[in-house]
Amino acid sequence: MALIEMNNITKDYHLGETVVHALRGIDLQIDKQEFVAVWGPSGSGKTTLLNLIGAIDDPTTGELTIAGKKMQGLTDDQKSEHRNETIGFVFQEFNLVPVLSALENVMLPLQIKGASLAEAKKQALMRLEEVGLSDLIHNRPAKMSGGQQQRVSIARALVNNPSLVIADEPTANLDSETARMVIDIMRELNEKDHITFIFSTHDQRLLDKVKRLVRLEDGKIMDKETE
Amino acid sequence: MIKWINLAYRNILRNKRRSLVTMIAIAVGFTSISIFHGYINNAYEGLRWLAICGERLGHLRINKAGWKEQGKLEPYNYMFSKEQTDQIIRLVREEKDVVLVSPQIQVMGTVTNGLTSIIFIAQGVIPQDEEFINKFWFDVVGYVDEGYDEIIGETLREDKTYGVLMAKDMAHYLKMKPGSNGIVMAQTLTGQMNAMDIEINGVYDTGNDFSNDKFMRFNFNFAQSLLDTQSAERILVMLKHWKHTDRLYDLLLKKIRNAGIDCEITTWRDLSISYNKMKSYLDTIFVFLFFIVLAIVLVTTINTMSSTIVERTKEIGTLRALGMKRKGLSNLFAVEGALLGCFGSALGVILHTIEWTVIRLFPLHYTPPGLSTPVAMRVNMVPWALLALMVCFIVLSTIAAIIPARTAGKKNIVEALGHS
Repeated sequence: MALIEMNNITKDYHLGETVVHALRGIDLQIDKQEFVAVWGPSGSGKTTLLNLIGAIDDPTTGELTIAGKKMQGLTDDQKSEHRNETIGFVFQEFNLVPVLSALENVMLPLQIKGASLAEAKKQALMRLEEVGLSDLIHNRPAKMSGGQQQRVSIARALVNNPSLVIADEPTANLDSETARMVIDIMRELNEKDHITFIFSTHDQRLLDKVKRLVRLEDGKIMDKETE
Repeated sequence: MIKWINLAYRNILRNKRRSLVTMIAIAVGFTSISIFHGYINNAYEGLRWLAICGERLGHLRINKAGWKEQGKLEPYNYMFSKEQTDQIIRLVREEKDVVLVSPQIQVMGTVTNGLTSIIFIAQGVIPQDEEFINKFWFDVVGYVDEGYDEIIGETLREDKTYGVLMAKDMAHYLKMKPGSNGIVMAQTLTGQMNAMDIEINGVYDTGNDFSNDKFMRFNFNFAQSLLDTQSAERILVMLKHWKHTDRLYDLLLKKIRNAGIDCEITTWRDLSISYNKMKSYLDTIFVFLFFIVLAIVLVTTINTMSSTIVERTKEIGTLRALGMKRKGLSNLFAVEGALLGCFGSALGVILHTIEWTVIRLFPLHYTPPGLSTPVAMRVNMVPWALLALMVCFIVLSTIAAIIPARTAGKKNIVEALGHS
């Protein structure tokens, strides 16, 4: 059974009188342990696709199933629980909470879940060690480089042991060397922990690292390539 | 919970200036209400003592049953005989919370200096009981507003029954002073006119503009002679604490009636028109002020929290993406609001203490409506009221935070994440 099943998904945005068709009939299946890049020009619908998979947005039509759970009909609270338990997010601008240290940022999803402080701390330390930030656990985001912040963001995405990590342009704000390092970390975790990664990118240099490429253009999947 | 309090605390420190301004607004609002409350609390206390001791109403007043309705028309039928008076005094004195039981009699008539006559209302009182009331007042309160009840001359004396006290405006109109002689005339209980010589022992201030031109105080025995009776019109009861009033009211009423004396008892609250009117007036002003200040603080805090929430829209989107529920988000901002309220109120308590100290050291004097002498403006420190006000402000700030947070929680996550 696929981890993600999208059947004839469309997403329209209404900008005044104008209707923008962001996604036009997407059919997509992503299995567990895949390492998928969503690639396409700006405005092709990459972010919209990831938002739908991440259950932070709803499709206009079509059927979306993630980890065996149909997204349509879920209440807001049920979706929140689903995101917390199943999905990890890595954002382009890292989106770390500025008043929290690296450790506290990573602990956040577990604390939202209601885990004990000791358990959250233990898991967070483990994930920070995996991304090579054991020495910076008490640093706040403002005292870390972009690459370090993105690694904290990855640790945060993984701390709940999700089935799926969604990363929207995770390397867009990083230099090419750091970008490659971040993708390497993600790939390593994908292989080691068998976590499914889906990320969007503009950067063609990173595409050789993915197992599967989904190319989007004008809200449609153009072709599907597998490594 | 502690982790969210910790996060909320750090968020408050994010924009220190804005948080400080909000806390100052809360503190000033808090102090405005607490100082005014402290003032009216002191005013109620003062008015209570003025009624109980100043107006000589006592805590309880025992009259013969029906006195309220018919006592003025048929006084001879509504007086306690000497035996009844002695019996009531004995029964009431048995109660440990009673500090004084004193028979009194009221006389109305005219007083003349030989040239001019004026209508008077006199209380016939026992001189040593009068002294006791004055001492009790001072001992319990610790002060009596300067000027009030100050006697020019000397007070009533047991051994000088014809020596009377005259209210100051009346003495002024009659051009009488301590040592002056006059005549009082009144109807005896059986309707005969009676006249007796008096000597002004002292001139006093009733503390009230409306009574200063008509009040006198007689020795109890002198008043009985003037009315040609051995009876007492009423028995005044003083208690250790005004809070015992209602309990003793029930107890004494039952006890005296069980002893076969049909009586009615009136509390100082029912007797003192000025206390009730003033309390109602000040209560209304307090409620008015309370809601105005509350509205200002509420709007200020909502404004602060709204700005905070707008600034942190992206963070809200992130927290929601990470799985925080709308309720959790509201709770997070509610804790921030509660902390602002808590710190603001704590600052308010400090400001209150400073103002209280300044007012205590440098009291302002003013003459309240109806009173004849200036009184010092005092503010009471009422710990339970400060605590209640703190709780009120914390709840208010929490509500002020929840209102915009609920709106923010409903915002689309994608839009929130895209906020710049």
